[in-house]
Amino acid sequence: MKILKDKVVKLSFVALLITITAAMFYTPTASAHGEKSQAAFMRMRTIHWFDLNWSKEMVPVNDTMTISGKFFVFSGWPETVDKPEVSFLNIGIPGPVFIRAGSWVGGQLVPRSISLELGETYDFKVLLKARRPGDWHVHTMLNVQGGGPIIGPGKWVTITGSMSDFVNNITTLTGETINLETYNLENTYFWHGLWYAIGLSWMFYWIRRPLFIPRSIAVEAGKADTLITATDKKVAMGFLAGSLVLVLVSYSMTEEQYPVTVPLQAGLLRGIKSLDLPAPTVSVKVEDATYRVPGRAMQMTLTVTNNGDSAIRLGEFQTAGVRFMDSNVAVDDTGYPDDLLAEDGLTVSDNSPLAPGQSRTINVTASDAAWEVYRLADLIYDPDSRFAGLLFFWDESGNRQMTTIDAPLIPTFI
Amino acid sequence: MSASQSAVRSRAEAVKVSRMFDWFILWAVFWVVLGGYHIHYMLTGGDWDFWSDWKDRRLWVTVAPIVAITFPAAVQACLWYRYRLPFGAVVAVLGLLLGEWVNRYLNFWGWTYFPVNFVFPSQLLPSAIALDVILMLTGSMTATAVLGGMAWGLLFYPSNWAVIGPLHVPVEYNGMVMTLADLQGYHYVRTGTPEYIRMVEKGTLRTFGKDVAPVSAFFSAFVSIIIYFLWHFFGRWFSSTEFVKAA
Repeated sequence: MKILKDKVVKLSFVALLITITAAMFYTPTASAHGEKSQAAFMRMRTIHWFDLNWSKEMVPVNDTMTISGKFFVFSGWPETVDKPEVSFLNIGIPGPVFIRAGSWVGGQLVPRSISLELGETYDFKVLLKARRPGDWHVHTMLNVQGGGPIIGPGKWVTITGSMSDFVNNITTLTGETINLETYNLENTYFWHGLWYAIGLSWMFYWIRRPLFIPRSIAVEAGKADTLITATDKKVAMGFLAGSLVLVLVSYSMTEEQYPVTVPLQAGLLRGIKSLDLPAPTVSVKVEDATYRVPGRAMQMTLTVTNNGDSAIRLGEFQTAGVRFMDSNVAVDDTGYPDDLLAEDGLTVSDNSPLAPGQSRTINVTASDAAWEVYRLADLIYDPDSRFAGLLFFWDESGNRQMTTIDAPLIPTFI
Repeated sequence: MSASQSAVRSRAEAVKVSRMFDWFILWAVFWVVLGGYHIHYMLTGGDWDFWSDWKDRRLWVTVAPIVAITFPAAVQACLWYRYRLPFGAVVAVLGLLLGEWVNRYLNFWGWTYFPVNFVFPSQLLPSAIALDVILMLTGSMTATAVLGGMAWGLLFYPSNWAVIGPLHVPVEYNGMVMTLADLQGYHYVRTGTPEYIRMVEKGTLRTFGKDVAPVSAFFSAFVSIIIYFLWHFFGRWFSSTEFVKAA
């Protein structure tokens, strides 16, 4: 019996080792940015990204691509997130696989933080230059001070070529053209190497003689003063004087070689120009909204009033970057990421053209696996169970107008 | 062999064992200090030491020396008062810089591909040599704290200028003036480090025009004196030996 027990223990141990070893070999690349983990209400009620365009899906090293589009700073910004008074237009990529060659909001270059207004829509563009080959998930992203990163939709982009070919040439105001990828590198290694060698030589001076036991005995015996000789003091003074001279020389040489330098630049850019959009002629009132957990569908009862002069139809509901569309009204032709696009995810009880001056109450269902995949269904666990999104209507001439909705959401579990 | 007998049989053997003990202890001290000092410096100096676009003339000059004088003061206290060895600051900084360079090269460059010219560590060795030599020449903790702490803070900026100066050359970029260091921070995307958390050029020190670095360095030096005292006592306490009577 004991032999059997021992064998079971031994085999179990071997199995455990094999499992652990096998697990070590499974190391998938972490390419995404935790966008699905971000609280659903933050993605639904802060920044609404739309009209996004990734200019390329495959980029060779040194070539550029842009991400452009618009974002609406939601009027019903949640109280638990600081307002975007200090924000930064970032880009969600796994490290500097691209360099950010430029970024603009409202036509203004934004290398610094910016101040945004609630209820305004801004256009933006980010220019990226490919640096490191691979398949990368490239997200739009806005950092908000006190609110954290608010990540937008992401799309896979492939960079081809070799990183060793990457160059980042910049011309300074002193007229010199440098490659920022390698600029100042040898100088950095030289000075760090030189000072490290000097530090080691100071150490070497002391460690070439007996250290701890004999010196401890001498100190305990009250003979500590005998351990530092006159030569030691001269050598130490030499090291100190030499170090001071070297610091002075290196400083002077740098000043001579780079006579024009300026301090680091920082600050907040205010007055960013928002888009001057015409006031919508459609008004929408949310009568009620429920999320049916088993069906992964959100149902809304909306009263829509057309105050314009052309009949309209509801074509799209967009929230947290997920687009629920009625393909009878509108079709995406921008190459929007598949996982965020429900081409027939929007069902409207009566989507016949709504004539000018008329009002109609409709039932709208937005259903797709994206509710679950993108963890938007977790909204029901948020402390402030409200949802929000953008509704896009199309008139007879194909013109589009946007309205926003913001209302409580009631979950149903049966 | 009884407990009262010596473990060595000759003077030559004793010397050999003693030297071997030296190497063991030195090796252990180096790596232990490297680990502790590195973690401490990354947690307290952090971004100011990581990125060239954080190495400004106000806050980096102030913060980095203050948080960096800690371990050198403690290691000095141990090595000087117990062994009269005046290399506590240098061995600590050698350890720190080795750790930092391994980190910058393998992690920042090797894993995440930030160029090394953007993520090099700050230079502390001239300050450390001054601290050790002043301790050795004066033999006094108070004098080392005052003179050494002052030298530590004041030497920091000029020691680093040879490496950071070239990165402060101005460039016009899409209609804005930036330094090359600013441009590195803008180009090499840090998803988790938005521009607004970059603590540079903040504060109310505006009455000295462009000559801010010396004022910041003096302030840093004054605080370094206080921190030296504090950490010196940590070092003394940590290296003290207490014998207790058996129950």
